[in-house]
Order: sequence, then structure tokens, then C-alpha cells
Amino acid sequence: MLRWSGTESGTPADLAAIAEGEGDGGLPFGAELVAFAEAIGGWDDAALTAARNRLAVAAGQAFMIDAAAVVANFEMMTRVADGTGARFPAETAVLRADLDARLAIGGFTSAR
Amino acid sequence: MQIGTVARDAYLAGRPSPPWVRPYGDPALDVAYRLARHAGTITEQWYQQVITEGMHPLEWVEIVGIVVSTISPVAFARAIGNPVPGFPDPLAGEPHGREADELAPAALNWVPVASPADQTASVVQALSALPDEWGNLWRLAESQYMSDAQMADPRWNRGTLSRPQMELLAGRTSRVRECFF
Repeated sequence: MLRWSGTESGTPADLAAIAEGEGDGGLPFGAELVAFAEAIGGWDDAALTAARNRLAVAAGQAFMIDAAAVVANFEMMTRVADGTGARFPAETAVLRADLDARLAIGGFTSAR
Repeated sequence: MQIGTVARDAYLAGRPSPPWVRPYGDPALDVAYRLARHAGTITEQWYQQVITEGMHPLEWVEIVGIVVSTISPVAFARAIGNPVPGFPDPLAGEPHGREADELAPAALNWVPVASPADQTASVVQALSALPDEWGNLWRLAESQYMSDAQMADPRWNRGTLSRPQMELLAGRTSRVRECFF
């Protein structure tokens, strides 16, 4: 979805930011966004405070709040997927193979 | 309320139990705990084990619905540095037990869904067996992220983050949580 929307908006996506958390994904404030998502995903409150402040200073308070809402949404959607065994249709496996390999997600326990 | 409380506390716990521990000795609370804190470790085998032990599949779906509608505002509050919101008071009366008119087994999910199955994306049909849980999920998604109609337009955004920035957050969050889907 990142690659698709990036192409449509004229801002190509660099998947290293998703796969390894490296770089800025080729996007404005990308490094701050990645750091913020990772800090929310961790349980170090000091690290979260630092990442929040860094994003708010760089991009503004409203931007940080909307970013938090997006992460909260995916804290929800990942649990919907993991909790209900959500799968892609088998016929789309070939189309997803390159992306799955790049993101190194085939070995996740949630794939079982 | 108990399931939501367990989910909130599991999400915020500084020193959580490991995923294979069932800390409550109560199937509903143990499922809530694992989903809230160790969702990426849940397998179909464990789902089937819990169902074999006596949990009804729709109880499992309802637990998923309660956990996700609890975690989402808790995660948002923590992310922006606000106090974690409390729970509303319970409503009087009996649970309504509302289910979809007809259920069907799904190829794209472990859980039963509203019939006909597998006509929409698995994550969309995931909670469809219980219409109120499904409604809660998509109201939250619309307020935090975007609606189905907005999703169809890759240039739609809130005026703050661009769509690629939103998808960067979504993708990295999913990767950090080791969510295969």
C-alpha cells in the first residue's frame, strides 16, 4: 500500500524504512515518523517522549497528533488481523512474493 | 469490562508475562492478554486449542472486538502523552447477543464470518459475525485513519500527513508488531 500510494502521489517509497526502520522512506519527516512509530511500539516512555517531541518540533503538533492516530489505528488493525487469522487469497501470492521477501515477513509466527 | 481492563493493563505492562503463559487461568482473559500484548504470536493452532477447550468461536470474535476497541484509544493517548482514558460505566441489562443473520466458515480467516464469506478482504470481514463489534472497529478506523471511500483515493489526506506518510507509519507499525498480514 505504501508503494502504491507513493507512486500515485509522485513521492516514491523506499521500503527500507518499513523493513529495517532505516532512512526516511524518501518522505518529508520520514525519519521522525519511523522513530515515532517504533517508540509507540516499544515500552520505553522516555524514548516515546523524545520521539514525540522530535516529530512535533519538526512537523508541528497537529501533524504529530494525526501521526499518533494512524499508529493507534494500526495497533488496532494488526490485532484484528492476528486475532482472526486474516489471510490474503492464495491467488495473490505470486503478486506479493517480492514485497513479502523484501519485508522479510514470511517467518513471522503470525503467518502460521 | 474485565476483558477491556486486562487488555489495557497488558498493553501498558512494563514487565509482561511471556506469550506462552496464561496468566489468568480464564480462557477469555488469557486470550485478551495475549492479543493485547503478544498478538503476533497467536497461531491457528492456539485458536483451535482454545476453541477445543470450550470457548465458542463467537466469544473469541467478541474478545477480539473488545480488545481492539480498548487498545486503540489507549495507544493514542499514550502516544500523544495524555492520560490513558477510563472506561465508561457499564450499561444496565442483559447482553443483547446480536449476531449476523447467517454465519459461514471463511477461507481467509480462522473465525466464522457473516455469510457469504470471502467476498471482501479478510480484515474487513474479520469481525462481521458480530455487527456491533464490526461497527465499532470501522468507526474507530474512520476517525483515526480513513473511511473506505477515502481509502479509494490515494491522494486523500487529512491536511497534515500525506498518504505516503500515513502508509509509512502503517507499514512500520505492522512490521514492528510482526504482523504478517
